[in-house]
Amino acid sequence: MMSGKSKFNGSDRFEYLQALVTEFQDTDSAEAREQILANLANFAYDPRNMEDLRRLQVTELFLDMLTEESENLVEFGIGGLCNLSMDRACRDQILQSDGAVSLVTGCLSSRREETVLSAITTLMNLTAASSRQLTAGGPVLQCMLRFSLSRSARLRNLACVFLEDCCSPAQVDAARRELQGHTQTALGIPLPED
Amino acid sequence: MAASEGSTSWSTPEVHKHHEQQTVCHTRPKYREGRRPKAVKVYTINLESRFLLVQGVPAIGVMTELVQLFALYGAIEEYRVLDEYPAEQFTEVYLLKFQKLQSAKVAKRNLDERSFFGGLLHVCYAPEYESMEDTRQKIQDRRRFVTRALQNKAKDCDRTVEKSKMVPMAEVAVCEEEESRDIAEEPDNLTTDYLFGFPLLLPPPQEEFYQPSSFPESTSAAFRGHQGNIRPAEDRMGSTYHSADNCNPPTPTEPQQPPFCINTPMVSKQRKDSRPTARFIPRTTHLQNRKRKVEEAGQDSLLGIEDKSETLIGPKLPEQPKMDMEDESLNITANLIRSTMAKISAVPEHKPAVQKTTKPKPRRRI
Repeated sequence: MMSGKSKFNGSDRFEYLQALVTEFQDTDSAEAREQILANLANFAYDPRNMEDLRRLQVTELFLDMLTEESENLVEFGIGGLCNLSMDRACRDQILQSDGAVSLVTGCLSSRREETVLSAITTLMNLTAASSRQLTAGGPVLQCMLRFSLSRSARLRNLACVFLEDCCSPAQVDAARRELQGHTQTALGIPLPED
Repeated sequence: MAASEGSTSWSTPEVHKHHEQQTVCHTRPKYREGRRPKAVKVYTINLESRFLLVQGVPAIGVMTELVQLFALYGAIEEYRVLDEYPAEQFTEVYLLKFQKLQSAKVAKRNLDERSFFGGLLHVCYAPEYESMEDTRQKIQDRRRFVTRALQNKAKDCDRTVEKSKMVPMAEVAVCEEEESRDIAEEPDNLTTDYLFGFPLLLPPPQEEFYQPSSFPESTSAAFRGHQGNIRPAEDRMGSTYHSADNCNPPTPTEPQQPPFCINTPMVSKQRKDSRPTARFIPRTTHLQNRKRKVEEAGQDSLLGIEDKSETLIGPKLPEQPKMDMEDESLNITANLIRSTMAKISAVPEHKPAVQKTTKPKPRRRI
């Protein structure tokens, strides 16, 4: 079984993933869309699929989902980005897409913890020297400072790791001063439920 | 900033959404169905953890049994019952902290929904018990794993291109079927398979002439661990360690190396057997296998094969031709083992007759 798998022909895998993407784009069923998106996001966890998913521009598909109304679609989309961005090549592809970072930072204001967590990890992965201004800028740092006081241990931990690993102490101090002053941003504060 | 969360979080149990079992999705079309029924859910590294929450443990004082069961999948660092955690009547909830994330993944996959003393276990990750350092570590490890896996894949690609023509049709068909059943499987499933099934895990060629020589299985397994490019699964190492530990110390009248009297077909069989040890094998199975091998070896020797080969490779023979492992530390280890073997085999020299009569008897194991 194992050996069969490792010998598995890569082009079949590619075709299967391609079929999933096609069905996702063609189907009208909201349920099917959710299922396929979850499938793709889970496939993005496996390094074997990352190259194929990149070729299929699934990063664009995931980014697209971040603008959806459905909270499920947003959660799965950012989950897929979180998985894919672990790979450098995929990270670069995400960064090349226009407005990608602001879409991801937008997820920080989600009411769902899972979505916020995926967004933080994605931002960590996206933080490269060239993109630091965007992914770890003032508003994001302020948001992380707020998260670092959260009641949720997962959110608190992840935000603290972000503050320690993705920016300098001086930047954190600056963000903290801004947070106390009047230049606060609302990033990361979810809108009240209607 | 919040740095010492780890200790305090042990005392604040709380029901999280990701602890709840989600409803299984039954509306997937056939080709998108996985091997096991699954809910629609996306796994990320944030959800995974070396902390596992085990619900549904019957409250009949089976903590030891539970911990033993989970320890089959890797070393457990800490465990405790969560008294304050809301549990169903007559059940308890446990929190287990594995040493390695990989062990927790395999344990969760294998033990979730397993019946245990009349109860049905529900196993889920409990990342909220992690410390900040745990969280950082797991994300870094994950990034490193992906990078390494992709590098290996690139290397492997060149090799499979050469081999692709040699794969028989039937096998391809099987793979295809496998693959389609893979859909919607939890990703940890995919990755562990990937990690363990990766071709580079196979022993490098130099072992080919090394292993059939006269070392017990456990040592050769340890060697393979050293040589592998990918770090071996700790549960495998753990089980190796335990099984070595559980062996009676070799006594003069009872030399412990069955491989001494094996001929080449046996060797190849042993190699085939030992390959799956790259994946997790519970210690008991491991011991059973070894017992079986010892018995087989014993039968062979009854057929008279032993006499022939023993004159060739007995423990009393002078040093084997010098073997170079092409690595300094491996050479040192090999020399160490060689000298230990020499020490062990030096004692029975006085009474070789006794040794011969006791040899075919299979050793008992606990």
